[in-house]
Amino acid sequence: MPTGKFVLKRFGHGIAVIWAAVTVVFTLRFLTPGDPVTALVPFDATQETRQQIIQELNLNEPVYVQYVDYLSQLVHFDLGYSYLSGIPVSVRIFNRIGPTVELGIAAIVIAIALSIPLGVLSALRRNSPIDYGATIFSLAGISIPNFWLGIMLILVFAVHYDLLPTSGRPVGVVAALELLLVEFDPSGLMTWLSHILLPAVTLGTYMTAMITRLTRSELLDELGKAYVGVMEANGLPQTLITFKHVLRNSLIPVITVIGLQMGHLINGAVVVEEVFAWPGVGRLLINSINVRDWPMVQGVLIFVVIGWVTINTVVDLTYAVIDPRITIEE
Amino acid sequence: MISDRTKRNLKRTLESSLLAKVGAAILIVMFLAALFAPVVAPHNPTQQVLEKKNQPPVGMNKSFTTSEFVVNGTETERVTNTTYKQGTWDRPLGADPLGRGIFSRLLYGARTSLLVGIIGSGLGAAIGAVVGLFSGYHGGKVDDLLMRSVDVALALPGLVLAITVIGIVGPLAITVPDPFVLFGLAPEMPPTFTIPGTVTIVIAIVSWEEFARLARGEGLSIRETDYIKAARSIGVSDTSIIRTHMIPNAITPILILWTLGIGRAILLESTLSFLGFSGTTLSWGYDIAVGREYLATSWWVATMPGIAIMLTVIGTNLVGDWLRDALDPNLDVESL
Repeated sequence: MPTGKFVLKRFGHGIAVIWAAVTVVFTLRFLTPGDPVTALVPFDATQETRQQIIQELNLNEPVYVQYVDYLSQLVHFDLGYSYLSGIPVSVRIFNRIGPTVELGIAAIVIAIALSIPLGVLSALRRNSPIDYGATIFSLAGISIPNFWLGIMLILVFAVHYDLLPTSGRPVGVVAALELLLVEFDPSGLMTWLSHILLPAVTLGTYMTAMITRLTRSELLDELGKAYVGVMEANGLPQTLITFKHVLRNSLIPVITVIGLQMGHLINGAVVVEEVFAWPGVGRLLINSINVRDWPMVQGVLIFVVIGWVTINTVVDLTYAVIDPRITIEE
Repeated sequence: MISDRTKRNLKRTLESSLLAKVGAAILIVMFLAALFAPVVAPHNPTQQVLEKKNQPPVGMNKSFTTSEFVVNGTETERVTNTTYKQGTWDRPLGADPLGRGIFSRLLYGARTSLLVGIIGSGLGAAIGAVVGLFSGYHGGKVDDLLMRSVDVALALPGLVLAITVIGIVGPLAITVPDPFVLFGLAPEMPPTFTIPGTVTIVIAIVSWEEFARLARGEGLSIRETDYIKAARSIGVSDTSIIRTHMIPNAITPILILWTLGIGRAILLESTLSFLGFSGTTLSWGYDIAVGREYLATSWWVATMPGIAIMLTVIGTNLVGDWLRDALDPNLDVESL
């Protein structure tokens, strides 16, 4: 188990990284060529909006005052108001978290369910057609642009065969489950499944490909170790050796990479949400950039950074539970 | 510069691996396509021919049905028009909704992708290598500070950061004259070529950290070798040690990572241009965005550029694997 000191240290590190990243986000507003206000407001902004942003961002004050003010607002979870809708930024982001988390989890589930069996099969039947198939699949999977994969899936399953809807999210998983459990009506869940399937496959493909590749190579490494030979010599059944001992050992690095890849899903989600009109945080970011709604952009960025660091911290702490050897590394 | 042993290793690995050959072949074709785009392209990729809009690829027929309402006296009548379009060799892969030849656009798109990929990733490699070697060589406080900044950079999700920076700064387009047109070899082609500058820089910004980590590791291990200690003890300056000893020693793993980085840079470039942030319209990602609106009638518009991207990235991945197997088999790229 991780010691208290290790946990504290990891949290301290996470907070330091968030602070530094938030500072980077703060400096982004100085990147704008010319008058910063021009780049930060919608194109048709009125003079009042301009005044408002100058006030809100304290642009008339010295930089250090702006910075301290910005940090104190963040500490109070005050991300300001959207220029476009006037709704608090935190409220808009909060409404978008559900869809993105749903999509991310669905992608991870699909990726793990496909990749580990495929990787194991491919390692156990080395140089068989399955192995070649898996190798080609994983090579293509890490090389395919995910937005294009999404469009191709729409083309085949929605446009050509008309099996699944092209885009959107008419119902969320919570509402769908409620309908099922309270009124025993599975239609909501079916609708949800049919809408999330293509985006989740699109988002999960890169991860699936990577983990397949990794599971295969780790398993092959592990199968070549001496203890496997000893067990075989002692007459242990092959299935027992493979599944109880070899697979377990070889999955530790696989879990590490799954953890690392979870953060990268945030990047993928931005594009996948755009392709499938999935109303998540990523789509909110792109829309906000397109209409130059700076408080929204800034809010989403900060939210994403915090999410990213949290995932990485949790993943790190999880390893310490899974593999006690990594626990206290100074 | 390249030793005989290295050459032998490269050759031997290439001969024994089918995948390495496939990768090298793909990349060579793509390079040639990009380089000679103005001579190979059957058409100016920006020329719009509306009669040929959404024309299918060679060997395909496609009927397009359009209907409109026509007021006929007091009655409104619905008139349905069906037009047949047949693929022709002047637009071998079909045409987009503005009648621009997809094959020609792919050739020009290869230029954008490869240029941005190679330069962007190369810039990231250069920055990362300098930071990493410096950090590893000096150690102590400098090392701590630089590696903390790498941690922070890794804590920012690349694509999200890239979109935001371009969204704020705006696309900076660098326009250079096309030598083929300049010397009259391809008069009908676009006279200038646009490199999306912001995209290139942003790719460097989001990719340097990996190179810094790699180079730092190399720097740390080289620093402790006897010949570096000897060089230092006779008073060779730090810059000259880094330049003459450390860079040549660290160059191989950086080169391998760079090759693999080109593929990722191409994916990032196409994503950014798909989202409309790139500043050039001669890009595979942009063409996919155009074709996306016409999936129901003209699948080829969005499909062809995606195949081009996938092939190119597969090519860089295979060549990267080949270089790793031949030059530095223990390099663990995934864990950086």
